[in-house]
Amino acid sequence: MLGNMPEKQTLGEILEQQGVSRRGFMKFCATITSMMALPPSMVSAVAQSLENAKRPSVIWLPFQECTGCTESFTRSHSPTIEGLIFNSISLDYHHTLQAAAGHAAEDAKHQAMEANKGEYLLLVDGSIPVGNPGYSCIAGMSNEDQLMEAAEGAAAIVSIGTCAAFGGIPKAKPNPTGAVAVRDLIKDKPIINVSGCPPIPMVITGVLTHFLTFGSLPELDHEGRPVAFFGQTIHDRCYRRTFYDRGLFAESFDDEGAKKGWCLYKLGCKAPTTYNACATVKWNQGTSFPIESGHPCLGCSEPDFWDKGGFYEPLSATAFGPTSALLAAGAAGAALGAASAYAARRKQKKAQESQT
Amino acid sequence: MNATTVETLESLRKKAKDTAEPRQLSDDERLQRAKDAFLANLDSEMATHLESCIHCGMCAEACHYQIGTQDPRYTPIHKVEPLKRFYRREVDPLRWLRRLWTPKLTLEDLEAWKPLVYDGCSQCGRCSILCPMGIHIQQLIYVTRTGMAAAGLAPDELQGPTDEQLRENTLFGAGSEQLKEKVEELRGKGYDVPLDKDKADVLVLSTSHDLIGDSGTLEATVKVLNHTGVDWTIRSDAFESSNYGFLSGDKAAKKKISERIINAAIDVGAERVIISECGHAYPTLRWEAANLHQKALPFDVQSISEFLAAELESGRLKLNKDAGGNRTWAYHDSCKMGRLGGAIEEPRAVLRAMGIEINEMESHGRTNLCCGGGGGVIMMPSAQELRRKAFTLKREDVDNTGATDVAVSCGGCRTTLETGKAETNWNINIHSLVEMVADRLAS
Amino acid sequence: MTLLDFARGPGFQIALVILLVGIVWRILGAVAIRFSKDLTKPRGGKQSIRGGLKAILTYSAPPHELEKNIKFQHYTGYAWHIGLFVVIFLFGPHVFFFENILGFGWPHLPNAVIMVTGIVTMGILVTLLIRRMIHPVLKVLNNADDYIAWTVTFLPLLTGTLAFYHLGARYETLLALHILSIELLMIYIPFSKLMHMFMVWPSRFRTGSDFSRRGVEA
Repeated sequence: MLGNMPEKQTLGEILEQQGVSRRGFMKFCATITSMMALPPSMVSAVAQSLENAKRPSVIWLPFQECTGCTESFTRSHSPTIEGLIFNSISLDYHHTLQAAAGHAAEDAKHQAMEANKGEYLLLVDGSIPVGNPGYSCIAGMSNEDQLMEAAEGAAAIVSIGTCAAFGGIPKAKPNPTGAVAVRDLIKDKPIINVSGCPPIPMVITGVLTHFLTFGSLPELDHEGRPVAFFGQTIHDRCYRRTFYDRGLFAESFDDEGAKKGWCLYKLGCKAPTTYNACATVKWNQGTSFPIESGHPCLGCSEPDFWDKGGFYEPLSATAFGPTSALLAAGAAGAALGAASAYAARRKQKKAQESQT
Repeated sequence: MNATTVETLESLRKKAKDTAEPRQLSDDERLQRAKDAFLANLDSEMATHLESCIHCGMCAEACHYQIGTQDPRYTPIHKVEPLKRFYRREVDPLRWLRRLWTPKLTLEDLEAWKPLVYDGCSQCGRCSILCPMGIHIQQLIYVTRTGMAAAGLAPDELQGPTDEQLRENTLFGAGSEQLKEKVEELRGKGYDVPLDKDKADVLVLSTSHDLIGDSGTLEATVKVLNHTGVDWTIRSDAFESSNYGFLSGDKAAKKKISERIINAAIDVGAERVIISECGHAYPTLRWEAANLHQKALPFDVQSISEFLAAELESGRLKLNKDAGGNRTWAYHDSCKMGRLGGAIEEPRAVLRAMGIEINEMESHGRTNLCCGGGGGVIMMPSAQELRRKAFTLKREDVDNTGATDVAVSCGGCRTTLETGKAETNWNINIHSLVEMVADRLAS
Repeated sequence: MTLLDFARGPGFQIALVILLVGIVWRILGAVAIRFSKDLTKPRGGKQSIRGGLKAILTYSAPPHELEKNIKFQHYTGYAWHIGLFVVIFLFGPHVFFFENILGFGWPHLPNAVIMVTGIVTMGILVTLLIRRMIHPVLKVLNNADDYIAWTVTFLPLLTGTLAFYHLGARYETLLALHILSIELLMIYIPFSKLMHMFMVWPSRFRTGSDFSRRGVEA
């Protein structure tokens, strides 16, 4: 793996070796503590835990994924503390990042699983094709089998990205591969869903830090996502909220309203129903996020966001079905009305004849 | 008009009740007849009305009986309930669904609604003007009455005269004999009365009510007609404008009774038929007869006020302008000839021609307040308390104009107002329009 | 499928179909029964169509001598209808909803104005409900339809306000409830007095033209 780090070295020792100053380390701890919505008094506890944390074994299984989660996570910040944290876990298996290949890589994986049984973290990205396993195999083994095998000895599973968490783009209609999420297959292990397409890097780090610090899962929301990062909607924290409240909406891309930074609701923004930290934590070290760059939120951290009726349709738009159905409805109504009136008329004619 | 009006009315009511023929019908037959009548008389216009009611209750504020008694059962649309219920179960487009929760119409329902629909409704139509949904409530109540009459549930005081008219061609015992007597009397006074002419341009209708009550209406009518020089006649076998079929709701009788007049008019080749001072007679002949007989009438129907206004315009009627003396005048519109008839401007034109400036009541013309006695109400003892309560509203409306004299052009209104005047010691003079004109003919 | 997905998708489609079938059925079924032709001679020629059309407007304003005791009901009745239409047709996200269907939109009012309008409208509705329950005339007329119609009209206003202010549950749940409450209203319309929104026009027209052909102003 990256670097030849002794297994039993603590994180603190590794950071010191890497030249990270105490101040820099504490600054990171303060940041991550606040990101996880923990009180300031926890900073020293976090610091102490991280310092003394043993390098946990981490197995990363990639299934039907685009590698975007890995890209987002590893490329956007090197070298940074997050990257070092990542370095300091024992990433014993990762297709994109590992040097080994073929049977050697598979053997390494199995060795790590055996050696750390019950203690390793399983990270998964990509959905699992259940419809036809042939769509995605590794070394002749289906994704599903791989998942079940690896999950057995895992302490916890982190589904990274919307594909692993909820099924993502492969699951979008018509779901040709029969893609499912990790939680659809694993029922007996703790699962943390870190959704997003891709997820915010800091979020992954925060989850890992929490696990390293407390040895347990953070508080999760109704979709199994850490509340610290997914507890509020983008809409709740959007800096353009005041324009929404005033009813000032951009009508089209790059129009006057768009240039003035007005709300993107009309252009299809799904922020009101999307839970994530984009509006506060943002991307690329807090540079920006989609809305700030002028594009409506796609709702990418929500289940089935590909099938929510169109990225550029506002939330208030509803699907009213094929026009043919509506015309048929009108015709049916007319037929029923005509039949009713005809029957009434016949009755009336009969009654009229009975009137002298 | 003389002060024996009230006594005359009481004896008329008794007479009316006694002439009612008992109807030998089982309860089931009664109900079935009512239902058949409802079916036969409902049309698409009424369906849109029955579909439009939103239970706002505003119609209660148009009805003089509801306002006078503050009894919510006289709310106009509530009077239609039996018809509505029938519609919901038998004609409504969603009737198959509605039958699940709409109770069946029963004979008890009809009997319970009888006082609301007869005693409590003078068929004035004011509710139809107010309803924000444009529901022609008066028409719906009218159809409800038609069903009730078919079930034999019309009040005896209204059904009796209907039966008499149909059977005897008399009303309260007065018919061709009594007319001929009256004509002789008028001839004795020097009037030329063209009775039973073979041909004439104008056929004039009077009413037994006037003959019995000995009002001066017929005399005035004769005087005025002769003054205009029109070619007119009055037929002893078809002079009765009153049609109790309208008042009782007995549609078949209404049709047959009106047939007499239509045949007589065709017989004499009349261009015009003039109704001299009867209220309900006007809409019956002008706005219903053609539809009853499914044929357009080959003659015009005019109320006397329309005739007078037309003759004023043609120049054949010349009046002295005496400005009604030094008195304050008001005009009471008859519901049947005004709001439901359309003759609103004409009586006013006639009064102006006499130099009379009227102070309009707050509710006048199409919004006028009913005298309270129309639609047969004046004839029913059970309805007199209601009528009195409604009358207080009318009296207030008239008094607010400061009027000392009020003109009317309807025999029913005149009788009702005179009755009210006697009952409440009202210090006002009530005049018939045609009699006022007869008194002011310029030579 | 989440509740919101159902509300925005199949729920709406089903409600729309029921609404369409019901409206057409009920209107046609009523206006196509026996038609009586009026063979009497109209006063002054063929004004009855003009009279009918005029009545469609004038019946909204009863003569003042008739409405002395119903001014409160009359004005609050119009006020809440107007308030409701303002909320439905002039709120931004609603305009986008219609634009999606019709292909064109129109200007909208600031959200604060809409919210105030909505809350005032609800206040008036509650007042009129109380009135309906205690007024002697209405107590004689009231039936279940009156109360159900009030409820299905009130719920969209209530759920919309709650959704806008994110009060009471997660936003997507509130939005789903709001859309579902509208679907409930849509389904209820054809079976209730709410059809007056369609029937009032032919009803006013026919009465107006009846009076007009008799020579009485609509």
